[in-house]
Amino acid sequence: MELTREIYWNIGQGAATLVPMYLLTLAAFGVLAWGFWRRIQVYRLGRAENRRDEAGLRASSALRQVLGQVKVMRVPGAGTAHGLFFWGFFLLFIGTCLIVVQADFTDPLFGVRFLKGNFYLFFSLILDLAGLVAVLMLGGLLVRRYVVRPPGLETGRDDALMHGLLFAILLTGFVLEGARMAVTELGTPLAAWSPVGLVFAKGMAGLGEPALRSLHVGVWWLHLALALGFIALIPFTKFRHILTTSANYFLADRRPKGALVTLNLEDESVESFGAARIADLTWKDLFDADACTQCKRCQDRCPAHATDKPLSPMKIVNQIGETAFNAPDRSLIESLGKDELWSCTTCRACQEICPAAIEHVPKIVDARRNLVLMEGEFPGEEVMGAAENAEVNGNPLGMPFAGRGDWAQELGVKTLAEDADVDVLYFVGCYASFDKRNIRVASAFIKLCQAAGIRVGILGSEEKCCGEPLRKLGNEYLYQGLAGENIETIKGYGVKKVVTTCPHCFNTLAKDYRDLGFDLEVEHYTRFLDGLLAQGALRLEKSDEALPCTYHDSCYLGRYNDIYAAPRNLIAAAGGQVVEMSKSEAESFCCGAGGGRILAEEKLGTRISEARARMAAETGAPLLVSNCPFCLTMFEDGIKGADLEGRLAPRDIAEILVERL
Amino acid sequence: MKILVCIKQVPDMESRFKINGAGNWYDTAALAWRMNEYDEYAVEQAVQLKEQAGTGELVVFSIGPERVKEAMKKALAMGADRGVHVPDEQSHERDPFEIAAIIAAYARNENFDIIFTGMQSQDRGSAQVGVLVAEMLGIPSVSTIVAFERDNGGVKVKRELEGGLKAVVKTSLPALFTCQLGLNTPRYPTLPNIMKAKKKEIATRAVGDLHQGAALAVTEKMSFPEKRAGGLVLEGEPAELAGRLIGILKEKTTVFK
Repeated sequence: MELTREIYWNIGQGAATLVPMYLLTLAAFGVLAWGFWRRIQVYRLGRAENRRDEAGLRASSALRQVLGQVKVMRVPGAGTAHGLFFWGFFLLFIGTCLIVVQADFTDPLFGVRFLKGNFYLFFSLILDLAGLVAVLMLGGLLVRRYVVRPPGLETGRDDALMHGLLFAILLTGFVLEGARMAVTELGTPLAAWSPVGLVFAKGMAGLGEPALRSLHVGVWWLHLALALGFIALIPFTKFRHILTTSANYFLADRRPKGALVTLNLEDESVESFGAARIADLTWKDLFDADACTQCKRCQDRCPAHATDKPLSPMKIVNQIGETAFNAPDRSLIESLGKDELWSCTTCRACQEICPAAIEHVPKIVDARRNLVLMEGEFPGEEVMGAAENAEVNGNPLGMPFAGRGDWAQELGVKTLAEDADVDVLYFVGCYASFDKRNIRVASAFIKLCQAAGIRVGILGSEEKCCGEPLRKLGNEYLYQGLAGENIETIKGYGVKKVVTTCPHCFNTLAKDYRDLGFDLEVEHYTRFLDGLLAQGALRLEKSDEALPCTYHDSCYLGRYNDIYAAPRNLIAAAGGQVVEMSKSEAESFCCGAGGGRILAEEKLGTRISEARARMAAETGAPLLVSNCPFCLTMFEDGIKGADLEGRLAPRDIAEILVERL
Repeated sequence: MKILVCIKQVPDMESRFKINGAGNWYDTAALAWRMNEYDEYAVEQAVQLKEQAGTGELVVFSIGPERVKEAMKKALAMGADRGVHVPDEQSHERDPFEIAAIIAAYARNENFDIIFTGMQSQDRGSAQVGVLVAEMLGIPSVSTIVAFERDNGGVKVKRELEGGLKAVVKTSLPALFTCQLGLNTPRYPTLPNIMKAKKKEIATRAVGDLHQGAALAVTEKMSFPEKRAGGLVLEGEPAELAGRLIGILKEKTTVFK
């Protein structure tokens, strides 16, 4: 016998089948197109933004993400199940397409049949197993959603519909296969190549051929109707993520991580800044809302959400969609909530994990920009004071600008005004310049450089705040003013390379300043010292003393710049043995100071720094090592607040390195 | 309604002060400058009043070197309509009477309905300029106001007295008010207003046209206070100590206000 099957078995390939089938198919795709056309009208409420540059790269990365389910599968459990379900359902879809191609095109038009022989056997087996995997995974996901019910997972009408419809499609598929096999394949060598279908066939064989044939016809049309119904429902249910999330991989932000739009403040035709209404966002911001599957991974990782603040990055995105579709003229700030907007630490945990490539942080900053630039509003008077201090003294702490370089005098560090012939400019930052605790870090860094024979200069009283906290709070005007002054000063000295100890300064100078015409090499001290260590320029003494510690990846070194190895190398070189916290590297939990929150009182919920200090204490290590002045400041407080003094002490990497000189 | 607000640019009080070469004032090098804190309350009150009235004109006035225009621009960004600057490199050598005379000379023919000044400047702290201006113009003045409202064509204000007491004062217009901490929270200028402020007019009036003559009082010498052991130690029974502490806090600070 030939190894194949009759495609329209029991149905017939005449006009009575094909005409209604293709009309229904056309109708389903028509509804799909209409549904999206209507949604596109809403996306168009947003401002223009080009997300089609480098189309080839975008397409290949989208293909990799969709077919590989890479981001989805990064979270085991539900993510794995979704990936396997996707592959199962995708193979069934490809299989159905092959059948259509052969039965209605290549065979009738050219007499070409490819679903035969060994290929057919594997085709049959793979589709059979794909269906099985899809059913099992869908079952697992259903148990998770409706029985286990993970906290925060929102379940609505769409979810019930989607689970039900997918189950019905898969199940009717197996019933169809079983009925056909019961009549045509039982006892033939073909049967073994459809193991799941065989189980159905054996179970139904007792019905007898006439009943099986009429059952088969009925289920065939039902299966068709369900499948077409699924297609038609895509734009109207969360099924839309099949297309929108896939498209979002293509539309993903290709700028450096964490980039914000640098507003053109000189343009006099612009009368409003930041996002007050839906129309102030870009179409991509609105599209993001449609790409969200409410998987809540962002919410699970949000430090503000974890400490009982009202923010959920997922709800911010959903609320933007809600507003765009239902009340586009409503105040965006009102629908998102001021407390929600000010709670964000811009730690980027949401964006890093999002399987739909949604960009949460820029939306929040955009809304903050409106609050600050158009309303003069801040999360508190202390923050307004900090902004005024930065205007007057170039630092948010309100310290006299003239004393900015005082800490370095006894170390013999010269300012560039005194001697500009240096190997590197150390951009000190406000905290390391003025805060006693962080001056110890700056001093340690200088001593390490001196030991390695590096000539370091600073700007001293000419240095200003890099502007990062103010920018993340929405004060783009003040940021650009400070940045402009720094850039002019640094360029004036013919500096070759800039090193920072603060990851916020680093990210800002290395990336954000590019938009303002700054193009010098900028390095964070962890990479810089790691390089000196590798070259042999920096030599550390060996010590037999054990130095157990845990290491906190700061957001702006880790997630924003993917620097995870250099700091750990340095700790190891200092003799440290890192006991990792459960949340580390890209999953690290913010100290609470990002997004300008370092300048704000934490009035809502519990303290983020205390939560992180407790995580560090759980490792049993006596030292909490970090790489950022904000983290160090927060941990000094968090450890006291969490009653962990004596058990846990915060240190900067530079401090443990300098002890090994 | 035509409103005048008089402001002064002062050093940031966190700055490191040094005595100047003449020994009669602080050295102005390496200082950061800002608007006198009390004048910010004055500007805010003036802007609020103009906003409530819906019409009128708000003029900001300042005496001093070119740099004082920075403080004037902030007032313009907060909502003042135009500025009048009296360039004067020697303004720090003028006594309160002279400063008041310059302001009064300018204001005399401008028919302002209301004049706001700070309660005092953070650097000289004489607290005389406002009341002297009112005296010279022959209009009533109320000092150290902490609340302001319009009242049947006149004004009703609350002013601060010693020991945390407050007095309510009503006056007809025109009148002058000196503004104290607690009156309001000065606004943070919005970006469009900062941009608009850059184009607002700042007119110049020569100091010689407004004032002739010399200072009545001259600062002879200025010096840092002698370092004393800080702090005050109270001794006695806890109950009585608490009473004395509350008294001191009421008298010397604003924590109970």
